[in-house]
Amino acid sequence: MNKTKLSGLILGLIGFCLPLVVTFPGLSGAGHFAMSIFLLAAVFWMFEVIPIYSTSLLVIFLQIGFLSSEGFIFDSAAITADGYSPVSYIQFLATLADPIIILFLGGFVLADASVKYDFDKYLTKILLRPFGSKPALLMLGLMLVTASLSGFMSNTATTAMMITVIIPIVARMQKGDPARIGIALSVPFAANIGGIATPIGTPPNAVVIAALNQQEMNIQFTDWIIYALPITVIMLFFTWFLLLKLFPPATTQVQINLETKLKKNVHAYLVYSVFAITVVLWVTESLHGIRSAIIALIPVVVLTLSSSFDKQDIRKLPWEVLWLIAGGIALGIGMKETGLAEWMVGSVGWDQLGAILLLLTFAVVALFMSNFLSNTVTAALLIPLAISMATSGVFEGMFGLMMVGLVIAISCSFAMVLPISTPPNAIAQSTGMIETKHMALAGLIVGIAGIVLVLIMTQVYWPLILN
Amino acid sequence: MVVEDEAEVLNSIVRDIELFESKFHIEMADTAEEAEKIIEDILSEGNFIGLILCDHVLPGKNGVDLLVELHNDEKTRGIKKVLITGQAGLEDTVKAVNKADLKHYIEKPWKKAELVDTCRRLLTDYVIEKGMNVMPYMDTLDAERLADHLRQNKDLTDR
Repeated sequence: MNKTKLSGLILGLIGFCLPLVVTFPGLSGAGHFAMSIFLLAAVFWMFEVIPIYSTSLLVIFLQIGFLSSEGFIFDSAAITADGYSPVSYIQFLATLADPIIILFLGGFVLADASVKYDFDKYLTKILLRPFGSKPALLMLGLMLVTASLSGFMSNTATTAMMITVIIPIVARMQKGDPARIGIALSVPFAANIGGIATPIGTPPNAVVIAALNQQEMNIQFTDWIIYALPITVIMLFFTWFLLLKLFPPATTQVQINLETKLKKNVHAYLVYSVFAITVVLWVTESLHGIRSAIIALIPVVVLTLSSSFDKQDIRKLPWEVLWLIAGGIALGIGMKETGLAEWMVGSVGWDQLGAILLLLTFAVVALFMSNFLSNTVTAALLIPLAISMATSGVFEGMFGLMMVGLVIAISCSFAMVLPISTPPNAIAQSTGMIETKHMALAGLIVGIAGIVLVLIMTQVYWPLILN
Repeated sequence: MVVEDEAEVLNSIVRDIELFESKFHIEMADTAEEAEKIIEDILSEGNFIGLILCDHVLPGKNGVDLLVELHNDEKTRGIKKVLITGQAGLEDTVKAVNKADLKHYIEKPWKKAELVDTCRRLLTDYVIEKGMNVMPYMDTLDAERLADHLRQNKDLTDR
C-alpha cells in the first residue's frame, strides 16, 4: 500500500468516525450515519484506497447496515425522534438493477457484440470514406465517427478501436508533422465529447439521470439527446478548429486505407440488425413511449437467446462499471432520505449567489474534480447536493433540477487535461504520439470552452426547450 | 535476453535492439550455462523474460539444447525464442522448431530491420499472451495490435 492510499485509508476512517462522535446541530441522527458513509466514500473514491467499484459496493453495504429498516441500527417499526423512517434495504439493493443500470447493461451487450463481430471497425471505415484524404477533413471525419460511436459504446472502447484506425494513418505521415499530434488528440477528445450526447454515452450521465428520476422526473432518451446533442456538435467543431490551429497539418494529403470486410454469417447479421433496431427505438423514445430501459432488454434477450452473445461474452461484460454507478445512486438515496444533503446545502447561504453563479460553481467544481477523479465519482458526489439545492428552492423547480443535473453530467465529460483525466486520454498518451503538455493545453481550452458553452445553454437554449 | 559467445556479434545485436531498452532490460550471456543462471536470478526476483535471442554454436551446451530446456520448464515455457545463427544444421533447426517452440529463425548476417521487426512482433505476442497491462508498451511495441487487444478485452473501462 503506497503513501497516498495509506493516508486515504486513515483519512477515510477518521471521516467515518467523525459524525459518530461529533453532533452537528440541525442534522438528524440518521443523517449523522449518512454523513459517515458519505465522508468514507468520498475519501475512498478520491484516494482510490480500494478500487472505486468496491467503494460503491461498500456504500450499499454500509447503508443497508446503518440506514435501512433491516440494518443493525433501526428496526422496521422505528421512526426516530427527528422523523426519519428507515427505508427498506431493498431500496438500496435495487440500485443494482435500477432502470438506468439495465439501460447500460443493454448498451454494454450491444457494444461488446459489435466488437465481437467487428461491426465497430466496419462502420468506422465506411463512415470515414466520404471525408477523403485531406488531413483537416479526415480529422473531422475521425472526430464525428468517434463521437457518434462513443454515444452508444463506452468512450474507452471507442478510443481503443479508433487508435487501431489512426496508427497506420499517422505512421505514413511525415515525422514532425504537427497534424500527427492533432489527430492523436482528436480521437480521445471526440470520444469524451461524444459521451455527452446520449444517456448511455458515459456513466456520469447515468448517475445524474437516476438521481433526477428519483425526483419523479422521467428523463427520456430522446429528451437527453435534445438537451445534450447540440453541445456535442458545437464542441466537436470547436475542438476540430482548435486542434487545426494548434497543430496545423504540414501536408495536404495523407494515405489512408479504408478497405474492410463485413462479417457475413447469421450471428453477425443478427447483431447488425439488433444494433440498428435498438438505437432507432432509443432515439425515438418520446414518439412511441416505450421506456429506454425496456428497449435495452432487446439486445440482451435477442443476442443471448440466439447465442450470438454467449456465456463467455457475458462474463466479459464490464460489470464493475454497473456497480460503480449503482453505488453512486445509492449514496444519493441515503443522503436524500436522511436529510443530509439538504442539511449540507442549508448550512451555506447559497441563495445570495444567484442561479447563474451557482451553476457556474457546479460546472467548475465538476470539471476540476473530474480531471483528477473518476467522472462517475465526481457526478455521484455532486448530484445529491445539487438536487437538494434545487428542491429547497434555490433553483426554480423541475426546470432548475434538470438544468443543474445537465450541468454536472456534461461538465464531468469535459475533463481532458491530463492522461489520468479519462481512460481515452490515457490510451492516446500511451501510444507515444503526444506529450502531456500538448494534451494539457488543448484539454484546458476545450474544458473552459465547454463550461462557457454549458452556461450559455442554461441561459438560452435549455429554457427555450424546457418551458 | 541475448546469448552469444562472440563479443562483437553480441554487442552488435544489442545495439540493433536497443530501442526496446526503455521497456525491456537487455541481459547478455556468453554461454548457455551463464544464460540459465541469469534466467534463474531474474525469475527469483519476480521479474519476467519475454524474449531470448540465442546463437546456436556456443562453448559447452549449444543454443538449441538451451531452448529445448527452457521449453520443457513450465516457468520459462512462455519465453519467445529466436535462433540467430549461421551454422545450425537442418536437424538442429527441426529440433528447435518441434521441441522448443522456436518462433523465428534469423540467419547471420542479419538485417537490422528484420531483427527489430521480429523482436517487436514477438514481444507484443508475449505481452498479450501473458495478459499484462498493455498500455505501458504501446509506444515501443506494436501499438495497433495492443490497442486492438484493449478493444477486445476491455481491460480498461469508462470510469
